[in-house]
Amino acid sequence: MPVRVALENITTPSHVSGANSRRNSFQSCTLLTVGQAFSGTQNVSSLQKDEAWRVNVRIQGCDLEHGYLCGTMEALNVPMADTPVVTFWEGEIVDTKNYTFFTGKWEAAPEDDIRHWTKFQSFGPLLSQVEVDGGKSVDLSNYPYIFMRWKEQYFVNVGTDCGLTIAGFYYVCFSCTDGSISGFYYDPNSSPFQKLELKATNDGRSGFSFSSYELQ
Amino acid sequence: MPSSHPSSDLILHRLSSSDYEIKLKAIREIKNQIIGNRTKKLSYIKLGAVPSVADALATANSDSDFGSNLIVQSAAVLGSFACGVDQGVRAVLDAGAFPHLIRFLSAADEKVVDAAARSLRMIYQSKLAPKFDFYKEQNMDFLLSLLRSENENLTGLGAGVIIHSCETSDEQNILCQAGSLEKLISGLDGSINQRDASLESLATILKNNPEAVSKFAELQNGRALRSVIELTKDRYSRTRLLACLCLICIKNSSSCHLQDIGIKTKLIYILLELLDDSSQVGEEASFAFSSLVSGKEDLQKLAFEANAIDKFYNHLQNCALHPKRLEGIFLALAELCSKLECCRSKFISLQVLNLLISALTHDEANVRTAACKCLKSVSRSIKNLSAGYFMNERIVIPLVRLLSDLSTSVQVAALGAISNIVVDFTPDKSTFIQCGGIKELVQLTKSMDSSLRLNAVWSLRNMVFLADRMCKEAIFMELTVSSVASLICDSEPSVQEQALGLVCNFVDGCMDCVEFAFAEDGIILDAVGRQLWKFSKMEIGIQGMYVLSNIASGNEFHKEAIMQLLFPQAENGSHSLLSQYLQSNDSRLRTSAAWVIVNLTVPASPGAFDRVVKLRNFGIVSQIKRMISDSCMDVKLRARLAFGQINSFGDS
Repeated sequence: MPVRVALENITTPSHVSGANSRRNSFQSCTLLTVGQAFSGTQNVSSLQKDEAWRVNVRIQGCDLEHGYLCGTMEALNVPMADTPVVTFWEGEIVDTKNYTFFTGKWEAAPEDDIRHWTKFQSFGPLLSQVEVDGGKSVDLSNYPYIFMRWKEQYFVNVGTDCGLTIAGFYYVCFSCTDGSISGFYYDPNSSPFQKLELKATNDGRSGFSFSSYELQ
Repeated sequence: MPSSHPSSDLILHRLSSSDYEIKLKAIREIKNQIIGNRTKKLSYIKLGAVPSVADALATANSDSDFGSNLIVQSAAVLGSFACGVDQGVRAVLDAGAFPHLIRFLSAADEKVVDAAARSLRMIYQSKLAPKFDFYKEQNMDFLLSLLRSENENLTGLGAGVIIHSCETSDEQNILCQAGSLEKLISGLDGSINQRDASLESLATILKNNPEAVSKFAELQNGRALRSVIELTKDRYSRTRLLACLCLICIKNSSSCHLQDIGIKTKLIYILLELLDDSSQVGEEASFAFSSLVSGKEDLQKLAFEANAIDKFYNHLQNCALHPKRLEGIFLALAELCSKLECCRSKFISLQVLNLLISALTHDEANVRTAACKCLKSVSRSIKNLSAGYFMNERIVIPLVRLLSDLSTSVQVAALGAISNIVVDFTPDKSTFIQCGGIKELVQLTKSMDSSLRLNAVWSLRNMVFLADRMCKEAIFMELTVSSVASLICDSEPSVQEQALGLVCNFVDGCMDCVEFAFAEDGIILDAVGRQLWKFSKMEIGIQGMYVLSNIASGNEFHKEAIMQLLFPQAENGSHSLLSQYLQSNDSRLRTSAAWVIVNLTVPASPGAFDRVVKLRNFGIVSQIKRMISDSCMDVKLRARLAFGQINSFGDS
């Protein structure tokens, strides 16, 4: 989700997959597959005032082999925008093969990483090992939580002159049990620890529904 | 003083003369007239000159000087007729000249041998040449004698026979075991013609044959392989290309050879440089490049770093490109963009798309096919799809037109691109609908050709993904209920799978969408049920289960319909479909079955209690309980959720 521009100097790092072709044993979770939708809020409070924006997320692509996920994020009641603002984001799944807990870019030092990851309760048991090597030796294949970084890449329905920035990125923790998502936005130039909280949605149905596509 | 050629009729008349002198002169005259002149060749073939020349060849006596001369000239004329003209090859073969040419290979006069060998080489360059039977021992002896020969024309003919006739791995192995590799390697030190012929035959024997490749790599302690690598630096562009092709065959056949990044990079640079060659070599270089990078992410990355996309783009900007070149370049770009996002981004940023769009309407079917394949690769990017780069009239209109192309390969390739492009993540697909795309796709789902049917259903399935209710309605109406039901039961399993994916997407979304499965007395749901009992491919079972799961996330009526389908009244629960699926070895199938139970037992739904009782009676609850400790986390979590919901009703 975009936040307000805080500084003039906006940088948008390009996506570097960093992927390799090794197969990994990372298990899929049916709640984190294409087509799945989530909704909730992002707290954008500052010292001046309390504020939260409603947010919808939709998963559009998922490639576990490369630790890749992508989708759109829609911010519904952005004060400066006339319409909901939609952004396209790409995610790195921390699978310890394609990506570790250390970001290594986007102005995030290992200390910033640890500071954010520790905000998730489910990260607790992993902390000591992650401090040593970024989590390279941790086996997450059967862990009921999936840690990710989501980085917005472009605005889908508004121009870059909309007065909003997507310079930062999210530290994300996904619960495989119920599909709930927690996240913290990180941008050294924005308010720290803006919390994202999302729950799986079901379009008013009495249960879970799934759809899919296959690219050729 | 200039003189005019005698007329064709006069020459033909002289050809049938019993006077050797006159006959020989006529043959020489024909030779001079047809050399490099396709029109003349065709004209003489039509006039029936070939049988007369073949007759002169057959009846001449190679032991006399005069006879030898006649054979040399006749063989040269027959070879010339066969060179590059299929009608000529056919005429020479029909005239029965082939066995005589073979016979003269063992003549005492070297000039006769040379002429026969040259003529046969021309014939073997054509697909129409008779297939050489490597399984016959005497044939292999003959072939090896050709390869062993000191005579360059004979070794060249031997290589030509291999290039023409060696197709299967058995044939490759026979040639390997007979020692042909060793013989061909010695040709690498010979003249340009010998080198090129040896390289091409080596590639023919090594292609897709790891056993042959291992043998070759070990020959002379690797010296043979090093010689081929060395020839990639040859001053002649054709030799460089053939050496590259040979190395590509080695690399593609066996992953343990040519792993060095240096050689991989070198191959890429040489092939990119060969693109500049204005001859046929430049044309073939892009096809060789495709074969080198096909399916290999590491090589695609290296090619990207070598600015391959810029290089191909620069060539594409030349409007006067020969169709073969255009085809080769688009196929190379298709391979390059098949896996890596950085390649696709570069493709988009260079605006190659504009040139590709023009190629979609090219006169040559092969170019249209290649352009579609390229578009398919570039549109594999979710990032680009989501940005809406492809769903616009400039692309969609020509693509939809190609759905009614006369060539099936163009149609299949266009469907491949369409199936990606329609995944644009927007609920409104009006651009595609307005240009008649749905009608065309639906028409192709009824094709007799299974690849057209498969790709058409695939495109519709992708199109219905996250589509809004109106768009789904439009597609559903056009497709008809009975068609959907028959596609689910199609004779091809891959079509069945895509059809079930299509239904799954139809019944996803708002609650009303579930009704699609119940149209016309539920014949779609019946078809899904039938397929679930007898599926031949795991993916069909999984996809079918998700159809049931989506329907079970509907209202009470929907949930009860699924119960009815899973547990017909008279049935014994322990053998039920659901029970079998829950015990499957495939965790994906267990997961899909567990989701059905989760949706059937949502506590807030009024009939959940009764369904829990039934599930308990059928032994499903105890199965779910066991699955709480399933080895697959996804299954375990769904089983836990289902069991929690079931337990909320107590132990009744």
